[in-house]
Amino acid sequence: MDKIAVTGIGIVSPSGINKRQFWANIKAGRSFVKEITRFDASKYPSRIAGQIDELNKYSNISERLLKKIDAFSHMALIASELALQDAGIDIKNEDPNLVGIFLGNAIGGWLYAETELRDLYIEGREGVSPYMASAWFPAAPQGQVSIYYGIKGFSKTVVADRASSLMALGYARKVLNKNKLNMILSGGMEAPVTPYALLCCSTYGALSKNNARPQEAYRPFDKKRDGCVIGEGAGIVVMESIARAAKRGVKPLAYISGYAATCDGLDRINCASDGKELARAITLALADAKTNAGEIDYISLDGLALDLWDNSELSAIKSIFKERAKDIPLSCPKSMFGNLLGASGVVDMITTILAMENNLIPVTLNLEEPSVKGFNYVTKEAKEHKINKALVISRGRGGINSVLVVEK
Amino acid sequence: METKQKIKEVLVDLLKVKPEELKDAVALQESIGVDSTEIVESVIALEKAFGVKLSPKEITKSSSIDDIAIVVQSKLKA
Repeated sequence: MDKIAVTGIGIVSPSGINKRQFWANIKAGRSFVKEITRFDASKYPSRIAGQIDELNKYSNISERLLKKIDAFSHMALIASELALQDAGIDIKNEDPNLVGIFLGNAIGGWLYAETELRDLYIEGREGVSPYMASAWFPAAPQGQVSIYYGIKGFSKTVVADRASSLMALGYARKVLNKNKLNMILSGGMEAPVTPYALLCCSTYGALSKNNARPQEAYRPFDKKRDGCVIGEGAGIVVMESIARAAKRGVKPLAYISGYAATCDGLDRINCASDGKELARAITLALADAKTNAGEIDYISLDGLALDLWDNSELSAIKSIFKERAKDIPLSCPKSMFGNLLGASGVVDMITTILAMENNLIPVTLNLEEPSVKGFNYVTKEAKEHKINKALVISRGRGGINSVLVVEK
Repeated sequence: METKQKIKEVLVDLLKVKPEELKDAVALQESIGVDSTEIVESVIALEKAFGVKLSPKEITKSSSIDDIAIVVQSKLKA
């Protein structure tokens, strides 16, 4: 399969909206994890998150549309606009039948759903907005972006827990390789900072309870880790063939050269402790990219900050990279702004592309004492390092393993 | 006149459109590009505002403000 060019980046995250602001904060190692103030979260075991305030400030979306959509669609619309601007694409000049959208989402749009369900029980059927049906479900952002730009090409939404958006990128690359579309908007979005979504995430048992020190709570691979912190946002990129990018006179930001996914097939919630299926996904992704472990300069980690998940991730890396495992820089920059669940994979890829562009690997925040030694974790401050090829790992509940190879 | 003004106020508030976009004699589909879900929502809001029972068959995308006013007034008189 051919490499596919990434020619535009759109990011909406707690660390910043647009790639410049995002990278400035990531580079500096600033934390954006705070106490939840959007609703009373005082009775929740985890009441901290990476949040986006004043989304409206960054948006040209009309009030008429905003009342019909959930925040996760709003975020996807802003990220799409930023990605198209970055790529220098005016969608009006594209053949709408040859433009697609591939997005990933894990939980749907609960802020909208919760409000309407409350009204259903208080006011009865007539209290529920007729937009509820089209606002809540995970494919709603795909639909809204399609309608907004008049996109009519083959499109999909992937729901695979935290691996959703990396998987969407993998599928988008596959579809572009079939030459059925000219370009694809791909990535993901998640808006889990709502009362019910937070409750579900809490039940999952993966959230840090270090509410007293929000900025120190998300500490993947650290001895004192006790889970991740949720975050909200969207990451969307423009993908197109190398030939088309060249024809447009655009220099790609990066290339997606390999992708693979496997599943542990062992448990409803947990992953396997041996990391063997993740290792197989890494092997398959490297083969797909026609490269090998010796050529990888950086690994972006999934880093759920739970013993089982972090340790099995490291086991997989060790089994593939062997002696090199102690030298390759590893990092989990999402520790700065929270785990964007279904949108985490694409945001990790965007961070990796920006790291490549700037020859600088961002830190894993709060990784002070590694639980497992013998790896080259990037901690304390961003590290200058030339990256030509990188791996991005994104995993999901029940042992979904997805791995993407991105290169300069 | 008063009925028409009230209908416009309900629709402006509900659909977040500008008052000048609503034309008395032009179908809602033509004037503001109303969609079918917005019609459902409008029927419910007008029912609440006027205290009458309306059917989505009586108020459609092709209805103008004048048409809606006639339906509402006939229900108010009934």
